[in-house]
Amino acid sequence: MSSISQNAPGKTVLLMGNEAIARGALEAGVKVCAAYPGNPSSEIIGGLAKVAEEMGLHVEWSINEKVALEVATAASFAGLRGLCAMKQNGLNVASDFLLNLNLSGCRGGLVLVVADDPAGVSSSNEEDSRIYAKLGDLPLFEPATFQEAKEMTRSAFELSEQLGLPVLIRSVTRVSHARGNVCLDELPKSSTKPRFENWLRFTPLPAIANHKLLHEKLNRAKEMAEKSPFNFYRGGEKPELLVVTSGSGWMYSLEALINLDVQDRIGVLKLGTTWPLPERFVLDHLKKADRILFVEEVDPFLENNVKELYAQNCVDLGLKTFFGKASKHIPDVGDLSPEIVTNAIQNLLQISYESRPADYSLRAHEIAAQIVPARMLGFCPGCPHRATYWAVKIALALDGRDGFVLGDIGCYSLGMGPSGFAQMRTLHAMGSGTGLACGFGQLNRFGLEQPVVAVCGDSTFYHAAMPALANAYYNGSNFLLLLLDNSATAMTGFQPHPGTGETATGGEAPVIDLRAICKVFGAHVEVVDPFDVASTVETILRLLEDKKGVKVLIMKRQCALVSAKHQKRLYRVAVEEERCLGETCGCNRLCTRVFKCPGLMWDRQTGKACIDEAICTGCGVCSEICPASAIRKEKA
Amino acid sequence: MTTTQTASDNKGLKALEQKVLGSNLCAACGACLSLCPYLSSRKGRVVKLDNCNLDEGRCFAYCPRTEVDLDKIYSKIFGKGYEEIELGPVRKIMMARARDPIWRKKAQTGGVVSSLIDFALRKGIIQAGVLTPRDGDLLPQGKILKSRKGILSCAGSSYVSGPTLEALNRGPWKGEERIGIVGLPCQVLAVARMKTSTLEKKTPIDRVDLVIGLFCTWALDYKPFTAFLHERVGGHSIKKLNITPPPERILEVTAGGKLHQVPVDEIRSFIRPSCRVCLDMTAELSDISVGTVEGKEGWNTVIARTAVGEDLLKEAKKTGVIETRPLPKDNLDHLKEASLLKKRRAIDALNEKGGIEKAYFTLSANLVKRILSEAPENAK
Amino acid sequence: MFIPKDPFNIIIGGVGGQGNVLASQILGEMLVAQGYVITIGETYGASQRGGAVMSHLRISRKDQFSPLIPEGQCDLLVALEPVEGLRILDRYGNPRVMTLLNTRPIQPLDVISGNATYPEVSKVIAEIRGLSRRVWTLNATEVALEMGDPIFSNIVMLGALCGIGVLPISRQEFETVIKELLPSRTLDENLKAFDRGKETVEEVTKEK
Repeated sequence: MSSISQNAPGKTVLLMGNEAIARGALEAGVKVCAAYPGNPSSEIIGGLAKVAEEMGLHVEWSINEKVALEVATAASFAGLRGLCAMKQNGLNVASDFLLNLNLSGCRGGLVLVVADDPAGVSSSNEEDSRIYAKLGDLPLFEPATFQEAKEMTRSAFELSEQLGLPVLIRSVTRVSHARGNVCLDELPKSSTKPRFENWLRFTPLPAIANHKLLHEKLNRAKEMAEKSPFNFYRGGEKPELLVVTSGSGWMYSLEALINLDVQDRIGVLKLGTTWPLPERFVLDHLKKADRILFVEEVDPFLENNVKELYAQNCVDLGLKTFFGKASKHIPDVGDLSPEIVTNAIQNLLQISYESRPADYSLRAHEIAAQIVPARMLGFCPGCPHRATYWAVKIALALDGRDGFVLGDIGCYSLGMGPSGFAQMRTLHAMGSGTGLACGFGQLNRFGLEQPVVAVCGDSTFYHAAMPALANAYYNGSNFLLLLLDNSATAMTGFQPHPGTGETATGGEAPVIDLRAICKVFGAHVEVVDPFDVASTVETILRLLEDKKGVKVLIMKRQCALVSAKHQKRLYRVAVEEERCLGETCGCNRLCTRVFKCPGLMWDRQTGKACIDEAICTGCGVCSEICPASAIRKEKA
Repeated sequence: MTTTQTASDNKGLKALEQKVLGSNLCAACGACLSLCPYLSSRKGRVVKLDNCNLDEGRCFAYCPRTEVDLDKIYSKIFGKGYEEIELGPVRKIMMARARDPIWRKKAQTGGVVSSLIDFALRKGIIQAGVLTPRDGDLLPQGKILKSRKGILSCAGSSYVSGPTLEALNRGPWKGEERIGIVGLPCQVLAVARMKTSTLEKKTPIDRVDLVIGLFCTWALDYKPFTAFLHERVGGHSIKKLNITPPPERILEVTAGGKLHQVPVDEIRSFIRPSCRVCLDMTAELSDISVGTVEGKEGWNTVIARTAVGEDLLKEAKKTGVIETRPLPKDNLDHLKEASLLKKRRAIDALNEKGGIEKAYFTLSANLVKRILSEAPENAK
Repeated sequence: MFIPKDPFNIIIGGVGGQGNVLASQILGEMLVAQGYVITIGETYGASQRGGAVMSHLRISRKDQFSPLIPEGQCDLLVALEPVEGLRILDRYGNPRVMTLLNTRPIQPLDVISGNATYPEVSKVIAEIRGLSRRVWTLNATEVALEMGDPIFSNIVMLGALCGIGVLPISRQEFETVIKELLPSRTLDENLKAFDRGKETVEEVTKEK
C-alpha cells in the first residue's frame, strides 16, 4: 500500500478515498482516532491503525460508534485533534451524543466522517446521512475526488477549531472505496500537550442560549463557505442547463458531458460545502440558467435546500425549472452511475446517444440471458455460519413447533438467503435480533407456542446486544440466543474486537469473555463447535425444550477467512466416488443440492460429487453430513 | 433429475409429504427413516428435514399408507389372493404362553413374543432381533437386540407406537445376520412392502426371516400423550402403563412412585389419526401374530400364518419354550368380530373423508362389501 | 509506450475472493508510478462472499475520471472467470473491446445446487470471442494450483496482462510495486506467478 504516512510532500500516489481522508487527518495533526468497523468507512481508522505507532497516535476500534465518537471528542475537549469514522448506520447510533455535542461545542478540531452506502450494497438499509448536518446545525463537506477527500479533511479540522464545533464529512462508497491520484502535502512536526481546562463547561444546557450560539457559528461557517475552494463552477456564462452537484455526482457529471459532447452547452456547479449552503455563491450561479438539474446520492438533500433558498429569493431570480429526484430525472432510490446522469441530460437536451451499437447490445443481452447463470452471495467455503444454520434448520424441524430465528448485522445476515437455508427471518440494526427476542419471549402468556431463537455475532454482541440480554434476564423473557463467535468482525474486514485479544494497532488486549458476560446477565450458557453437527443439533434441541429464561449457546469456531490468513487448514477433503450415491434414492445430492457449499461441485459426467480444490478450505462439515460416508477427511 | 411429472404422479418424498405426512396419515412405523437424510423422527413423530425432487423413492414405496394394493401384497407374501377378511391367512390358531416364568413376569400377558424371539436367537434361526424398547420416559425406539436382557427390556405394552423399522434401515449390520422383527400391523405391512418392492434394496430386508406381529386396535401419539400424562403426574418420568380390561377401562399410570388412574376415554384424543383408517387388527402379513385372550389372564392368542411361523411354534412347543391349548370358540368368534369391526371403522372413516376410492389402499369391491355386511353394527 | 486511448477503460472482474481488488491496485500503482492519472472503482464487502465483483480502472494522461466506467465503454476486460466475463461484456462490452480470459470456471451456488447449469466453457469462450475484437486465454487457476495455491491466480493474470503487450507495464514495475505492497516472504512466488502468466497466455482471436 502506498503508505499514508510517507513523508513525501509533492509526491503523487494512488490512494483510496478512505486513505486520502486518513492522510488528510495526518497532515492536520490528528492525535486520536476511533471508530467501529462499517462498510464503506472501515479503512479510515484501519489505515491509521497501521501507522499509529510510527506517527504517535492513539487509534482504537471502539465497541460501538457512540463510544467511538465520545473517545474522539475527549481528545477535542483536551485540545487535541480527534477523528471519528463510521457508516450511515453508525451515525444513527452516535447521533444521541452528536446532537448534544453540537450544542455543547468542542475545542480541538473534531471531524466526523460518515461514509454512506447508496443502494445498500453492503448494508441493511439505504440512507442519506447528510440530514444530520441540517438537523444538528453542523458544517458538512462532501468530497468529490480523492484529492478533495484529503484536502477537505484538513480544512475540516481547521474549521472545526475556528468554530468550536464538530464538522461532518460525508463520503459515499464510490469515493471512499475508489482509488485515484492524490498529491501529498507535508506532515506536521510539532504537537500539543492535552489538557482539560477545568474552567470550561461542555454541555448543551442552557439549551436555548446554546442553540442561538450554534446558529451564530453556522452563520460564520456560511460566510467562510462563500470563499471555499471546494465550491466552483465549470462552464459558460449562459448554459442551456445548469447541473448542480456534489460528491460522487461531480465525476459522473463530467463523464456524461464528455460522452454526450455537450461541455459547451452545460455548466456544472460543484458544491463541496453542502451545509450550510454558500447562499450568495449559489444564487449567483442559479442566475446563469433557467433549467437546473440536481445530481446527487441518495436523497434530494442539495435539491431541496437549494429550492428552499430559491423560494426565498425567487422574486430576484425569476422563473426557474428544477429537475432531479422530484421530477424523477434522477432516480429517487439507489446509487448514481454515469448512465443515470447521461440519460437525464440526454432527456433534457433531447440528444440521441448510443454508448455502443444497438445490435451489439442486443446480441450480448441475448447470449448472457441464455447461458450466464446468476451468481448469488453465500457463505464462504468453510464458514461456521453455514454449519450453524444447517444445525438450526434440522433442530427447528425436529422440534416441530414452527420455531423462528431473529437476526441482525454481520456475515450471518446471509442466513436470510439460500446459503443459510433461509433460516433467519428478521434483520434490522445491530443487536435487534436479541431485542426482538426479548419481546417475542414474552408472548407465551398470550398463547405463542413457537420457540424463539435469536442469532447474534460476537462483535455485534459487544456493540449492541448486551443491553438486550440484560433486559431479557431482568424482565423474564424466554428464548435461545445463538452467539456466533467466529473471533472476528468478519464482514467489514476482520477487525479485532473485545473478544479477540488484540487491539487495532496489533497490541495485546485483555479478552472480555463472552461466556462470563452471558452468565452475569443471568443466562444459562453452553458452548458448542458448529462443525460438530450432531452435537450442535442435539444441544439446540435440548435448549429449545427448556421453557425457562434465556439460554445462550455460543457457537465457537473461527471465521474461515481468518483461519486461511493464519494458514490453519483443518482437513484435506476428498470424495470417494465408489461410495457416492449421487442422484439416487438415499442421497439425491445432499451436499451440492441442499447443503450448497461452494467447495463442492457436481460432475454431470460421472454423476458424482467432487471437491473444488480451488475453493474448498477443508472444514470437513460435508464429510459429517454425507449419508453414504463418501467424503473422506484427513487431518491436514 | 428434476421432475416434470404432476404432483399426483410423483412416487417420492413430494407425494409422501402431501399424501401422508401432511395429511395426518403417518403411522410413525419408521419404514421411511434412515433411508436418506431428508426424513427423521423426534418423539415418535416423523419430520421432513428437506425437499427431495426424485420422481420415485423408497420412502413412498415402503410406507404402509401409500398406494397399497392389498391383493397384490397378500398374493406375493402368501402365494394366493386375499380372501380371509376376518383374521387374514390362518394356518393354525391357538392359545399359548411361555413356560419360563422369566418371560411371563415382565410380559403384558403370556410372554409368547419374548420367548419366541429368544428361542429363535438361541437356535440360530435368527442372529438379531429388531425390537422396540422404550427409554426412561416411555418413548419407543427401534433397536437391534441379541441378548435375553435386551429382549426383556422390550416386554410389556406401552400403547404408544414408535418408528421401530428405523433400526432395520439404520443398522449397524455386519452383513450376514438373519433378522427377526416384532412389529405392529402398520410396521408389518411396511415390511411386506419392503420385501415386495422392485426398487433397489439398500437395507437388509431380504435377510428378515421372521416377522412376529402384535394385535393392535390403536396406538397413541407419543408427544401429546406424554405431555398430557406429565401434567397429570406432576412431571415425573412414566414407568409403567396398563389399561385394565373392560368394562372399567382405566389407564393405570405408574410414575413418581405412585399409581395414577385415568379413564381411557380421556386419552382417546391422542390416538394417531392413522390408526382410524387402519384395516388390520391382527397383523395379517406376519409369520406369527400374537395378542391377548379376553377373559383369560396370562395367555396369548397365537396365529401361525406361514410355514416359517408354523415350524417355529412346533419347535418351541416341542422344546418346552411354550405350552399351548386350543382357543375356545367363543374367544375365536369374539376375535373375528373385533377384527372385522376395526376394518369396518376404517372404511367408515375413509368414506367420511371422501370415499374409499380415495383411500391409500386398494381392496376389491367384493371384499369391501363382505366387510360391511359381516362386521357387527354400532361402529363407534 | 502509450495507452491506446484516453481514457483507457479496464475492467478486472470475477468472483468474490479471486483477488480482483489486489490485482487492480497493483496495476493502478504500476501506472501511477509512470505519471498516469488513475481512478479505480470497486464493489466491496458483501460481494466478497462469492458474488460477482468488478474493479473498474480508468487510465488517463490528463483527467480524473469517474470510478464507474459507463456502460458499453470497456476497452480491456480482464476476466478472472468465464461466465463473469460474459456477464461483464453484456453490460460493458462493445465491438472494440479486448478480452483476457482465465478459462477455469467457478460454479455459482445455483449451479452447485442444481437449479442452473454452467455452460460448456468452450461455448463461453466462443461467445466471448464473438463479442470481442481480440481475445487471449489461459488457465490461470491451473497454473496457480501447480504452484501450490489458487491464491496466485490473480498474479498469474497480471503477468498475462503484461505479456499481451496492450498496456505500458513491465515486469520491473511489477516488482517495484509488489515489494512495497506485499510481505517480502511472498516476493519470489509472486514473481514466479507473474512470469508463468506471461509465458502461458495465448492469443486466440487476433486483430479483426
